[in-house]
Amino acid sequence: MPASVASRGRRIRRDPVLLGAIVVLWLLLALFVLYPLADLLIRAFSDEGRFTLEPLLSSLADSGHRAAFRNSLILAASVGVLGTALGFLFAMTAVRGGLGRHWLTALDAAALLPLVSPPFTTSIAIIFSFGPKGFISHYLLGLNNVSAYGFWSTALAETLTYFPIAYLTLRPILAAIDPNLEEMAFSLGGSRWRIFRTVTLPLCVPGFANAFLLLFAASLADFATPLILAGNSFAVLPTQAYLQITGMFDFKGGAVLSLMLLVPAAAVYLLQRHWVGRRTYVTVTGKVGQRSRSRATAPWTMAALAAATFAVAAVILYFYALLLYASLVVAFGANETFTWRHYHVIFTEGLPAIRDTLIIAAVGMPLGGFYGVLVGYLIARRRFPGRQAMEIVSMINYALPGTIVGIAYLIAFNDPPLALTGGALIIVACYVFRYSPTGIRATVALLQQIDRSIEEASASLGAGSGQTFRRVTLPLIVPAFFAGLGVVFIRSMTAISATIFLVSLSWTLITVRILENMTELALGPAAAFSVFVIVVVFLVVAGLSAVLVRFRAPAAGAAARSLLGG
Amino acid sequence: MKLLRFLAISLAGWLAGLAIAHAAETVNVYTIWPENYARPMFQEFEKASGIKVNFIRFSSGEALARVIAEKNNPRIDVLFGGPVETFAAGIKEGIFEPYKSPSFAKLPARFKQVDGQWTAIADDPLVFMTNAAFLKSNNLQPPQSWNDLLNPAYKNQLQMADARTSGTAVTRIFSVLEVNKRDEEKAFDYLKKLRQNVQLYTKSGGGGTLPVGLGQAGGGIFFIVDALETKAKGYDVVISFPKEGIGSSAEAIALIKGAKNPDAGKKLIDFATGAAMQSKLAEHKVNFVPASPDVKTDPALADVLKGANVFPIDDEYAGANRKRIVDRWVKEVLGPQ
Repeated sequence: MPASVASRGRRIRRDPVLLGAIVVLWLLLALFVLYPLADLLIRAFSDEGRFTLEPLLSSLADSGHRAAFRNSLILAASVGVLGTALGFLFAMTAVRGGLGRHWLTALDAAALLPLVSPPFTTSIAIIFSFGPKGFISHYLLGLNNVSAYGFWSTALAETLTYFPIAYLTLRPILAAIDPNLEEMAFSLGGSRWRIFRTVTLPLCVPGFANAFLLLFAASLADFATPLILAGNSFAVLPTQAYLQITGMFDFKGGAVLSLMLLVPAAAVYLLQRHWVGRRTYVTVTGKVGQRSRSRATAPWTMAALAAATFAVAAVILYFYALLLYASLVVAFGANETFTWRHYHVIFTEGLPAIRDTLIIAAVGMPLGGFYGVLVGYLIARRRFPGRQAMEIVSMINYALPGTIVGIAYLIAFNDPPLALTGGALIIVACYVFRYSPTGIRATVALLQQIDRSIEEASASLGAGSGQTFRRVTLPLIVPAFFAGLGVVFIRSMTAISATIFLVSLSWTLITVRILENMTELALGPAAAFSVFVIVVVFLVVAGLSAVLVRFRAPAAGAAARSLLGG
Repeated sequence: MKLLRFLAISLAGWLAGLAIAHAAETVNVYTIWPENYARPMFQEFEKASGIKVNFIRFSSGEALARVIAEKNNPRIDVLFGGPVETFAAGIKEGIFEPYKSPSFAKLPARFKQVDGQWTAIADDPLVFMTNAAFLKSNNLQPPQSWNDLLNPAYKNQLQMADARTSGTAVTRIFSVLEVNKRDEEKAFDYLKKLRQNVQLYTKSGGGGTLPVGLGQAGGGIFFIVDALETKAKGYDVVISFPKEGIGSSAEAIALIKGAKNPDAGKKLIDFATGAAMQSKLAEHKVNFVPASPDVKTDPALADVLKGANVFPIDDEYAGANRKRIVDRWVKEVLGPQ
């Protein structure tokens, strides 16, 4: 709908709620995204007060850095494609598979495991399984001297770690496709394959694009997995940036390397906007009658899909059984006597970390969920000056590697009047602005499927934008709200790359304890902490789902069950 | 009954802790020593001085990055433990406040920075550590020479640290240089050959100890403190030394410029640089070699080191050439396949 800037401006002024929300959001984004980034840019590109491009030019001239840049793109694209495909497979099985309640719960649990685990767990499980003396490679297959390091293991670990994001993005979209559409195509004589290709797949395009974008950005910024699995010959940029800063003590060089990552992240983002933005994907119109059960997928296809899905799920479950085992023996690999000792350690010495982490996660969760839905709603539904800018700015902290976000926060918020370091607030802010983009993207993708006429009807009946949002839009995007909320909570329990720079003498985190345990060779407590994190996240997510099911009634767009599982 | 006693003791401890927290001074510390080594030392200090230690552990690079970022508003008073070269990098950033403890004068030159920017609290020699089962299945003796590690039996079996992130690795490379009489061509020739047998260069100095313990890797070169810890955890590993000799690196402590509790910080440095702390190392099974001439090395540790040819890395030579050598290592050894 073409509207001149002047008329948009007038419309906003008439709508104080909208205006207020936009102003507050911009203030927050300026403080927690733009200011640290600008501070960092100034440091990277200035030399004793003068502007210089020297660090950038010398980084680009280094052939090792160029190779790392290329490797990062290859890895991110592979993880994006593989993860989206795997997520779609899981989503198809969950939505169309006609699975019983218990099978569905098991599927959700397997899909969520990698997402809710602390860093390094997948990587370490892969080394234990496929390394030179791995359970699978050596003891089952009898291979000797295989290398578990390099591109394939890194891509595999990242795909398994991040595909649940694609699953969470795609599942509500698949569920929201009105079966009547496919039913119509079916009764018009289309073959199942043709319907899948011309109706189902195209309706998922915004979901694919969003999932790919999120996975691409997540892989681009991930440093923990390559740190362990990439080995000597497959360097990637986030790891290089981390090494540059913490190993070579070269802060400028590290900052420049990280900023190079913003270029591909922005490019993919603009591409997907261009690709997705021009079509409509409305299937929730408010005008639908009886919902029918989809016949568009053949039973044997479904059986094959389900078999593939459960094979992947079995691999994941096996990885985590290994983790549970490591937490229950004295010393994994050396003394495999059963013991509760490690759990005793984490609930005594580790108790402060557990308490701090839970407080921070509990505070960050609602803030992140609400922030995600609000930003997603504004950029998908509202026309106001600077809308695109807001969309891009809100993605920045997600796309940057954690090391750089952490250090930028540490520098930007160390001095008065903004002296936030040493407190809990800085960690909460880091989580909210770094991990809400999942909620934002989920909201946008869901809203693109919901016909505007529903909201227009509310507006024409005299409701203000606040009321329309609360009474009409919000119920429709509840699944996205809970997805965003869940991801922020999960990340608050599991992230490390940024927050290792933000923990302080008075506020520490479980993940930092896990890393510390790994340096102490205390695999047992590290595994016990990981198991604890997974259990807590599962309980919270299950709680959220229960709440969601209770308040689901008006959520026309949502599937029968919550996207958060169980 | 046991539970009751446990509760009573914890309650008493908690109350005592409250009393101390209110009455006493505190000192804020980033430690680079892993917590299991640092915690008992801080507890001894708390007992001896009544000053409470607030601490958190980071790897050397992360600790340094933080202290530099916090320069204008320091959050800590003392940087504790960690290889000397981290402190050398810190001097360039102007983050330390020179301070000479009472033990300063007694220490040999390699255990202190002339102006008192840092002082050594321990010494840490490198060792060869190999997996016992690996040696047995390949009919190998524990390596007794640097050249033993070039044996094709070790192909793709060694793990050791990456020189970009780890002081362990830098000490290792300078050891090879010293063994080759500082002939860089010969030394790099060896390092390139060694590269053929390396499965993985790890980010942290001790990163390879667990894989070696578990048999994921056959062996590697580590600091003695990490190697003995692996053994103490129950993994069947063998420690040996090359007959040509191997280097040792000092661990240091420093006062932070602009520290908010400088007096408490100085007391911790007095404690750590002297016999007060270093005589407790053995008791807590922390296998660093004491730096203070007043403290005898623990007999068990001395036994491991008996007959070993260990030499100190020349501080001045290493400091002057570190960056160039590491760059060359990245380019010529790590880079090409």
